[in-house]
Amino acid sequence: MSQILDHAQGHSIIAAASDEAERRWLVRVVHAAVKGRVRFEVNGLYRCEPVRLRIESELAHRAGIKQVSANILTGRLLIIFDPIHGIEEIRVLVEQSLEGSIPTASKQRLDANIHPLHSLPSTATAGVRPALLQGQSNWHVLPADVVLSDLETSREHGLGRASVQLRLHRYGINRLPKALPRSGLSIFLGQFKSLPVILLGVSAMLSAATGGFADAVVILGVVMINAGTGYAAESQSERTINALGESVQQNAAVIRDAQLAEVEAEVMVPGDILVLTPGTQVAADARLLESRNLTVDESALTGESLPVIKRVESLDEPDVPLADRFNMVYMGTVVTGGSGLAVVVATGGHTEIGTIQTLVSETRPPETPMQRQLRTLGNQMVLLSVGICGVVYLIGLARGYGWLQMLKTSISLAVAAIPEGLPTVATTTLALGIRNMRRHRVLVRHLDAVETLGAMQVICLDKTGTLTFNRMSVLAIYSGERRITLANDMFYGDGVRMDPAQSDELLRLIHVAVLCNETELNGDAGNYALKGSATENALVHLALTAGVEVGMLRRRYSKVQVEYRAEKHNFMRTTHTTGGAGKLVAVKGSPAEVLEMCGWWIKDGVRLPLTETERTAILIENDRMAGEALRVLGFAYVELAHADLLPAEELIWLGMTGMADPVRQGMRELIALFHQAGIDTVMITGDQSATAYAIGKELGISGSEELNILDSIRLEQLDPEVLTGLAQKVNIFSRVSPANKLQIMQALQRAGKIAGMTGDGINDGPALKAADIGVAMGGIGTDVARNVADVVLEDDNLHTMIVAVSEGRTIYDNIRKSIHFLTATNLSEIMVMLGSIGTGLGTPLTTLQLLWINLVTDIFPALALAVEPPEPDVLHRPPRDPKEPLVKPSDFKRYGLESLTMTAGSMASYGYAVARYGIGPQARTAAFMTLTMAQLLHAYSCRSDRSGIFSGETLGPNPYLNLALGGTAALQLASVAVPGLRSLLGNTLPSPIDWVMIGAGSALPFIMNEASKGPVMKRKRRQGLLYSPTSPAGA
Amino acid sequence: MKQDFMFTSESVTDGHPDKLCDQVSDAIIDRYFQQDPFSRVVAECAVSKGILFIAARFASLASIDISSIARQVIGQIGYEHGDFNARDCTVMTSLMELPALSHPQLDEREMSEGELEGVTARNQANVFGFACNQSAAMMPLPIWLAHKLARRLTAARLQKQLLYLAPDGKTQVGVAYRDGRPHRIHSITLVASQRKEALQNLVSLRDDLCQHVIEPAFLGEELRPDVRTHIFINPDGPIVDGGPALHSGLTGRKNAVDTYGEYSRHSESALSGKDPSRIDRVGAYAARYAAKNVVAADLAQACEVHLAYSIGIARPVSIQVDSFGTGTIPDTEIAARIQAHFDFRPAAIIRTFNLRYQPQLYRGGFYRRLAVYGQVGRMDVGLPWESTDKAELLR
Repeated sequence: MSQILDHAQGHSIIAAASDEAERRWLVRVVHAAVKGRVRFEVNGLYRCEPVRLRIESELAHRAGIKQVSANILTGRLLIIFDPIHGIEEIRVLVEQSLEGSIPTASKQRLDANIHPLHSLPSTATAGVRPALLQGQSNWHVLPADVVLSDLETSREHGLGRASVQLRLHRYGINRLPKALPRSGLSIFLGQFKSLPVILLGVSAMLSAATGGFADAVVILGVVMINAGTGYAAESQSERTINALGESVQQNAAVIRDAQLAEVEAEVMVPGDILVLTPGTQVAADARLLESRNLTVDESALTGESLPVIKRVESLDEPDVPLADRFNMVYMGTVVTGGSGLAVVVATGGHTEIGTIQTLVSETRPPETPMQRQLRTLGNQMVLLSVGICGVVYLIGLARGYGWLQMLKTSISLAVAAIPEGLPTVATTTLALGIRNMRRHRVLVRHLDAVETLGAMQVICLDKTGTLTFNRMSVLAIYSGERRITLANDMFYGDGVRMDPAQSDELLRLIHVAVLCNETELNGDAGNYALKGSATENALVHLALTAGVEVGMLRRRYSKVQVEYRAEKHNFMRTTHTTGGAGKLVAVKGSPAEVLEMCGWWIKDGVRLPLTETERTAILIENDRMAGEALRVLGFAYVELAHADLLPAEELIWLGMTGMADPVRQGMRELIALFHQAGIDTVMITGDQSATAYAIGKELGISGSEELNILDSIRLEQLDPEVLTGLAQKVNIFSRVSPANKLQIMQALQRAGKIAGMTGDGINDGPALKAADIGVAMGGIGTDVARNVADVVLEDDNLHTMIVAVSEGRTIYDNIRKSIHFLTATNLSEIMVMLGSIGTGLGTPLTTLQLLWINLVTDIFPALALAVEPPEPDVLHRPPRDPKEPLVKPSDFKRYGLESLTMTAGSMASYGYAVARYGIGPQARTAAFMTLTMAQLLHAYSCRSDRSGIFSGETLGPNPYLNLALGGTAALQLASVAVPGLRSLLGNTLPSPIDWVMIGAGSALPFIMNEASKGPVMKRKRRQGLLYSPTSPAGA
Repeated sequence: MKQDFMFTSESVTDGHPDKLCDQVSDAIIDRYFQQDPFSRVVAECAVSKGILFIAARFASLASIDISSIARQVIGQIGYEHGDFNARDCTVMTSLMELPALSHPQLDEREMSEGELEGVTARNQANVFGFACNQSAAMMPLPIWLAHKLARRLTAARLQKQLLYLAPDGKTQVGVAYRDGRPHRIHSITLVASQRKEALQNLVSLRDDLCQHVIEPAFLGEELRPDVRTHIFINPDGPIVDGGPALHSGLTGRKNAVDTYGEYSRHSESALSGKDPSRIDRVGAYAARYAAKNVVAADLAQACEVHLAYSIGIARPVSIQVDSFGTGTIPDTEIAARIQAHFDFRPAAIIRTFNLRYQPQLYRGGFYRRLAVYGQVGRMDVGLPWESTDKAELLR
């Protein structure tokens, strides 16, 4: 991303370069190494659509120029021309095309240090003032007033309705450009672009050329059917995948017609006055007009993880990197603090992020690691097949078969052996998985997230909001040496229900808790709406529960001064009038610090001096409450007779409240599920470590192992190497701020972990983005969190995460199953041919039979295997090793052995038939039937590496596989039973003994392969045991 | 015993990383015992690269905030600013709950004879106690003086006499012996870390330390440094800031400082970070108690008591006394008298010294105080094993 940025910025600097540079060159050769092809850099083309149009239209008709293509995003121009012309000649042509169009007026503007070519009059820009053109990139050097007047808008009134409509029409809607979906035709045509299909085509031509028209027709039929299934599967997947990146509807606050209005971000236009408040995502590029400590997180654009402070002053230099243009705010960035006012200067694809996106979206989304592996694998198999077929061809020649027949056989063998269905299978599987997850309200936003989900080794969980409700409530009070507990809004002292009004010190405590409190109380009695922090809301709720008249109390003691909690003192102090001359000071905060300031305490309404014994008792109680995962606050007050008296340290201690944020239901079980699946859980919380420990214990976050807590408020100061080492052991990070999540994630990743991270806040953005799997909460999450996440849990239910993991693992498994099937069966085809020709038994399969096998046994069973249900133990085994290839050498060995058994079966069948009937159609039919049936049965074997018919474990049913296999088997039977088909394929009707032989030849390999699963599985289990000490906890 | 020799003992200040770990470990023990006197706790610490590692295994009704205790200790020691400080430092706690004990447990104070016998040693252990008449506290003179210097070094910082001092420091005192008695102060080494922003040159540092640390420390001592006494100040060059930011520390690495400055034998196992049910900790106190009373009863000028505990047996398997030839009666006789008058059974030691309830009696913590300036030979805390109340019985 940063590279792209550099690129973009580099050009914007060129574009904004001073007039000196303008005079030096207009068109410059960038690349001309290839004859008849030249790439120019055209000054002014960058982000200037009219210039592009002009160049292209002017040059297209010139003699000698074959093709012109200008790119406004790079500012470069590619010309393919007749090599008889010189490059210099072409350059002059280009310059002429530009210069002829620059009117003198704008040449003067050139000296005014404003981008000259933006002012080119063209059909697209006629009638619009030059400055209004989108893409102008140096707003940051202009004073705010100039920007406003250039954009014909005003700070107070904003734009009028009519003006907005006009501009919306002119500039288009404010939406980022999207990659165009592939058209159905291109998907369909894509099916013919592969090597196997080309081979098939060659084969068809050869067949036709040698008179085998039937063969040619069948081969073309194969091609069409393959293309048809491929098209159906891929276009379905394409739809699913294209829907991934769709972001959520966004609104923005703007001033229009002198009124503050909430509008859809899409209808914003240049000139709109944007109101910026914390938590909002900036909806367009804008120049700041006002800033009150405005800070913006620009990590989406610049990669800078720290928020940037924004100011209004204009910059002097035009060529300042994006990150340093402190008076601009950019689309896609997020306001983290303060507030401000800005005027929109660019929207949609003309914004900085839009430019990047356009650059990026011009290419297809990159292949996922698995797709890459599949492609390599496919290519390797093509080479292997072609190589072996070459060998078969040569052996055939040596054995004296006709060259033409051998060529046809070899080609069709190659076609049959090549797993052309592989890419289709993979894409389909991924897309189906995504659809499945969506049913569980899990939105996957990137294709590769699906496979990463299956490899996830650690998941970092936000405590507040994810594991808990983020709703505080007071659960315990310690006042007057008495512990009072609250349950269901009732007070209990020593287990007995009590009336809070009976206890003087409790009542005083509650009064102070309400006074030293900024929660706003709205609404009517019985139906109050509390607006404030979770902690303070809990205190007001406590007061309401105790029957205290909050409003009246606050009116009686009106607040005159507030001293907030600060770094140095961990308490809040408010001063109130008492009606008379005196004043009341209420204090709330860290119990230890509040207690330090107290000289007295109250018991049963009597004020007593605080002795060491009571202090110790209070502090011990504080420890105990903190240890019970309660957030503890101490309360004290003093009433002074005269307002001018300073509150000395002689406050009166009232007691402490302990509040908690209850853990959501079922979280302990969920954590256990993660552990079962070999996924480590890490909790991230801002709580003290005692609270964190209590919650961690409640959740069983470390399984049965010891619980490691890293308590730090300055994670960024830790040596990254040390943090990397520690992060692998830590179960809980306590007292960390959301910004530290990034460090945690990076540490885990440096340790080689595939890590997930949940989040919902603005500050979580960078960490979610850095995470291998960023998980955002759909309901409570901010736009930022949702937009950078890989996975969105729409109903905030973390339980669906385990579904996603299961799905991710299943998809990976299923793709492996398909590969397993395709590799093993295709190898068996090669082996049968090789073995038979090598031993002089003739060709056991005709060209058409080979093509038939390819048609019926390759694609449908493989597709059906791709939709296998999850294996029963999918969540009971550790995540796969991310470094492990999709197919390991040991897997290949096993596939080879399996195909050997199938080959042996078919060869035995063929050998028997040859012995009985001699080399001919009868023998070939036996081999053909045996091999196909063995392959179909093998599909069942591929359902699991672990459990088979002898293991006693049952797999979930897969009706698609049954359907596919049943259908294929029926077709196979038809190939001998239906006369027309029979003669086409050169089959004969097998005799009953032949049937027995075919049955044995196909069933025995299956039984052998199933039986050999046991030892394989046991060996794997042994390996698992050996690895288990290093494998994640709870695995 | 050799007659003419030189002996050096060292002590460290509370800001030394090893001692910091000891103090955190013992502060955790204190906090557990304040809430639940029948806790079982093992707390070990290590500090390195500005990270404090705490491993605690416990079975307790108490719930405590371990990392906040650690921060409190770090802050009280004086690490408030700089690279390693109470607020910013990273604390990694590794917590393991032991299987819960049956509660309520028997209180040693109310145990019958049979019950006392039933609480046996859970480990094979050698513990040693020593006392001699070289100082008022009946400690060997080198460690006694080294502790005094270390205290003065800390006091000079805390009382703001030397504002530039940082909490980390080390002291060594070499005492020349003649005829088995301390003869003169051979050498004094002071390693005093200084704050980065107020670094002093060596000359003024030397003057300051002589005036504010060495002189007051030797006030009232019989032996004082003379003109020939070597005084080394920061022999390895200035120590800037020092503490955990500079070098690492570990609980239980300063066993000699905790005991007799290597003058006598000491057990290898750590004393800090263990609850009183651990015989390797409280046995050392009991042995010191016995040795000190032997010397106080004038049965010997120096006395080392060795107790050997074995798993499954409450009483020590053997009680050995070595008076190094200074005894007025044979060593075996001393051992016999000790056996007659001291109860070395684990539960009895807890009862005698009231070890379960001491943390509740001292607000600032009991075990934590032991973690610096010696677990034995303390005159500042009323330690029960420093009392000589059994001297009369031994005579």
